[in-house]
Amino acid sequence: MPKYLFLQRSVPGQSERPSPAQMQEMFAAFNAWKEKFKDRILDMGGPLKPGGKVVTASGATDGPFVEAKEIVGGYMLVSAESFEQALEVARESPPVMMPGSSVEVREIREPEGP
Amino acid sequence: MTGASGLVEHFFRREYGRLVAVLAGKVGVRHIDLVEDAVQGALLAALTAWTAQGLPEDPGAWLYRVAYNNLIGDLRRTAGRLRILERAVDAVAGSGDDPAPSYFAREVADDMLRMLFVCCDDAIPRESRLVLALKTLCGFSAAEIALRLFTTEANVHKRLARARDRLREVPPDVQTPPLETLRSRLPSVRAVLYLLFNEGYLSAHAEQAIRSELCDEAVRLATLLAEHAVGAVPETFALLALMHLHAARLGARLDGTGGLLLLEEQDRSLWDRERMQLGMEWLQRAAGGEVFSRFHAEAAIAAEHCFAPSFGQTRWREIADLYAMLERIDPSPLHTMNRAVAVAEWRGPEAGLALLQALVPPAWLAGSYLWDAVLADLHRRAGNGGIAQRHKERALSAAPTEAVRSLLRRRLV
Repeated sequence: MPKYLFLQRSVPGQSERPSPAQMQEMFAAFNAWKEKFKDRILDMGGPLKPGGKVVTASGATDGPFVEAKEIVGGYMLVSAESFEQALEVARESPPVMMPGSSVEVREIREPEGP
Repeated sequence: MTGASGLVEHFFRREYGRLVAVLAGKVGVRHIDLVEDAVQGALLAALTAWTAQGLPEDPGAWLYRVAYNNLIGDLRRTAGRLRILERAVDAVAGSGDDPAPSYFAREVADDMLRMLFVCCDDAIPRESRLVLALKTLCGFSAAEIALRLFTTEANVHKRLARARDRLREVPPDVQTPPLETLRSRLPSVRAVLYLLFNEGYLSAHAEQAIRSELCDEAVRLATLLAEHAVGAVPETFALLALMHLHAARLGARLDGTGGLLLLEEQDRSLWDRERMQLGMEWLQRAAGGEVFSRFHAEAAIAAEHCFAPSFGQTRWREIADLYAMLERIDPSPLHTMNRAVAVAEWRGPEAGLALLQALVPPAWLAGSYLWDAVLADLHRRAGNGGIAQRHKERALSAAPTEAVRSLLRRRLV
């Protein structure tokens, strides 16, 4: 089954400032990301296929994906039958329900066969 | 509200930068001299008019109108002598009445950033880029820049002249180029912002306000960059993260009398929590993509210090690793020296010394007080009293200011 990456976004300044515990988590997430560079290992998950959809409370739109003033607030890997089904899942995810937030859905390219 | 006293702090300086950027965007950067004169004239006129009649309803729009009229007048007068200017005048004055400023935040941000990218032309010498940005975007006078960069006013003028020479070479047909075509200058822009921040952060100037002003300007411009499509990439976010995370500790680096405090002496409860939060939010955004830049490494080091509960509980091993990564990304003996300090905290002074002994410092490092101070500290802790004493004496005599000297005396006992 194809895997989909959900990127959760929120707008800086609009949400509450992180608590010490949240900052700890954010730092841990950064450090986890950093690890892959320590030994110059670049392989972490499959590369993203170009194109995808951004789901907001008011519907799904095509990109742009990295728009100014938006931040990726978190991510989630989801397996789904199809892109459409992945969009369905995204629509039901909590961040989409909040105004000003959205989830970007990208299909992860599976490694080519052996 | 009467008089100019009702204006927010730095209003004139900020308006200067906005107006220069907006007007240079209209007539082209090759007329930067005329633009700056026109803006300067508008600010002087405001001082007189506002003091006598009180603040206008919209001070920003008032200034824009006067500066715009000044500029058009100057361009027309100059055009009488230089035919090549005619097109510029037509382009601005002929494009319909535009005295009502298009002061939408987004356009101003665009103009400001474009000006910043113009300042970071590779053909302009690096020291001139910084000075040009401080002059045109931050609205500092040559004297104020000299004060902040610890150089002479004459030197500032010289650097500015070099930058302006280059800007005048921009062909007359070329208006200020659109941001997109300037994208390749992004690394240079980040380097200038980093330099600007460091001038403020690392300077040993006792006057706290003067130092933090440069840091504030760097953060302001870097934020513009990070929030704009042209600069919104992880490397920019990492740069902004490192600025906030360092700035969070800025206030606690001074004691009650303006002297510098060592990291282990600082009251961690004084660290600015809001800056730490901002820094962490940007650091989180920086965690993406396939590039781990020097700004990532430096922001992560700053974060390690910010989130260590105490000096003793600092994760020195992580910091040593980060310096090792920094060395790989941007080889410099300075990073090796800093790694040695972290390694000494982690595995003892001998391990730190071993790193330094494998290093032949270049003249600029060997002659700096930092190099001797680090060696004095590590040798003393390793029990080599005689060697430590020699390095201590050299460090003290090379220290740039009394504040640094007194800090060294405390640390090097």
